[in-house]
Amino acid sequence: MKRYLETGNFAITEGAILAGCRFFAGYPITPATELAEAMSFRLPQVGGMYIQGEDECAALHLCIGGALGGYKAMTATSGPGFILYADPYGWAIGCEIPLVVLNSGRVGPVSGITGAPGQGEFYLTRYPTQGGNFETIVLAPNSAQEAMSVIVESFYLAERFRTPVTVLADQLITDGFEDISVPENEGEMKEMGFRTWPRKINKGPVFYPSTDEIDIPPVVLGHNTGALCSDWTPTEEGYDIEEVAAHHKHAYRLIYKVRNHKELFNNLYEKNFMDDDPELVVVSYGTPSRVVNTAVKKARQNGLKVGALRLINLWPFPDEHFKKKTKYLSVELNWDGQLVREVQRAAGKDSEVHFMGSCGDLPTVADLIETFEKILKGQPLKRRGWELEEW
Amino acid sequence: MSTRTEILASGFGGQGVVRLGQILGEAAVKQGYRVSMLKSHGTEMRGGYVRSQIVLSKEPIDSPMVESPNYFVALSLAAYKAFKHLVKDGIILYDPAFVVEIDKGLACVQRPVPAKDTSVENFGRPVFANTIMLGVLSSIVGELDPDIVLESILHVIPKYHEENKRAFEIGYALLGKSADEVLHKR
Repeated sequence: MKRYLETGNFAITEGAILAGCRFFAGYPITPATELAEAMSFRLPQVGGMYIQGEDECAALHLCIGGALGGYKAMTATSGPGFILYADPYGWAIGCEIPLVVLNSGRVGPVSGITGAPGQGEFYLTRYPTQGGNFETIVLAPNSAQEAMSVIVESFYLAERFRTPVTVLADQLITDGFEDISVPENEGEMKEMGFRTWPRKINKGPVFYPSTDEIDIPPVVLGHNTGALCSDWTPTEEGYDIEEVAAHHKHAYRLIYKVRNHKELFNNLYEKNFMDDDPELVVVSYGTPSRVVNTAVKKARQNGLKVGALRLINLWPFPDEHFKKKTKYLSVELNWDGQLVREVQRAAGKDSEVHFMGSCGDLPTVADLIETFEKILKGQPLKRRGWELEEW
Repeated sequence: MSTRTEILASGFGGQGVVRLGQILGEAAVKQGYRVSMLKSHGTEMRGGYVRSQIVLSKEPIDSPMVESPNYFVALSLAAYKAFKHLVKDGIILYDPAFVVEIDKGLACVQRPVPAKDTSVENFGRPVFANTIMLGVLSSIVGELDPDIVLESILHVIPKYHEENKRAFEIGYALLGKSADEVLHKR
């Protein structure tokens, strides 16, 4: 195991290469530029290929090409680039192409500030393309080290589910430096809990409409399957067909292959101080969850009954964590409140759901503890762009 | 006593604020510390600022935020004004070439470090100010081994090894006796 002081971008690059990624196409954008840079340097060293697209839309289409050519492929961007993935992301979902897409969130909308973190793509990663009739897998790490393991896991899931997987990081993770351990052999990878899945080659039929089966190898062009890749509703053999009955089968598969096998990733969460039925459960993901952990620890020393739930698996949303009737507080890096809406839906009417957002910077421990106290005393919260009570 | 040491450095683009944090962090990793270093930056042309938030700890680091720095390196007046109130019982090191007025009402220790002028005096240009500041920090941050910090400087900055070595030594000696006082106070 080698230790470095390095950025999340470095950790993600090394993780991707360990997972077998040999193709990267992207378009540079802060805070993911260094990832593209590192890939352009590292991939040729391991027999891989780096291509810079003329824009993000082209870059993700290039990744689809890379995957159809037999490579494990990934791309990386930030919010302003992720929005341009809408078209190729849909192709990848519809044609069942395994890919890994990294989005490092910065404060928005649009370009916002290059070097300030944000969590404005919670819903965008669920609906990265138009049309509906699909389910997406989204994972969110909270440190550079975990970004490495989440990337490895994403390649694993992408292969098994035959679908793109989005990793939702933030500027602080990709741009920030941390001490990082990189495994140097398979034994060390196992020790760190990394699991990988080799690229297998589909021998046809190309599509499996109406089934929720996973572990069906993806299409690699030229291996008995011809060149069947299209944005239209497919037949089992991969030909286009504009027929509602055929589309029903296709849509069923795209939704239920993910929904019916959630056990492969719904163990990706972290609970801290949740054993004694806390009166307030603080829900978060990404970098804010680390400040939440510190705040919850301190608040408990002050006698507050709070616990912390951190989501790593964001989509499909893990409703099962919110069955207990209690008070919930969603802490997010946005002022409009995104995760909170899902918590509200999953928690049901009897629970109280609160929101605390910050815009462009992390919340402070002091601010968090003050908010915990107010919620537990039933006092109104500070206005932060959006408050539940006013809806 | 807290198990974590917090260092905040802030100034404007090009002063080496991120580089400074990276060197300190790398030295700490070599010493076996867990390290996190957040960097915030805007684009200089659009009025951005640069800030490094460094946390060292023997334990895994939860919050990477520097909320109460033990050491604050202020390299611009705007940075000084923005973050001086965070320093409760820590130390502010400021370069008087940029921080032209200080708040005498603060309870914490404040020390001027004329890194820019010292660099110009000794090397004819300001580019070694950052290394001088790293020398100063190595003389007062008890957690850091100065030899390892110097090793990291030479590793991270590929050029001007002789000058950087000298600049580091000048910085290390710059506070003289008052470095001991500062250390003692900690």
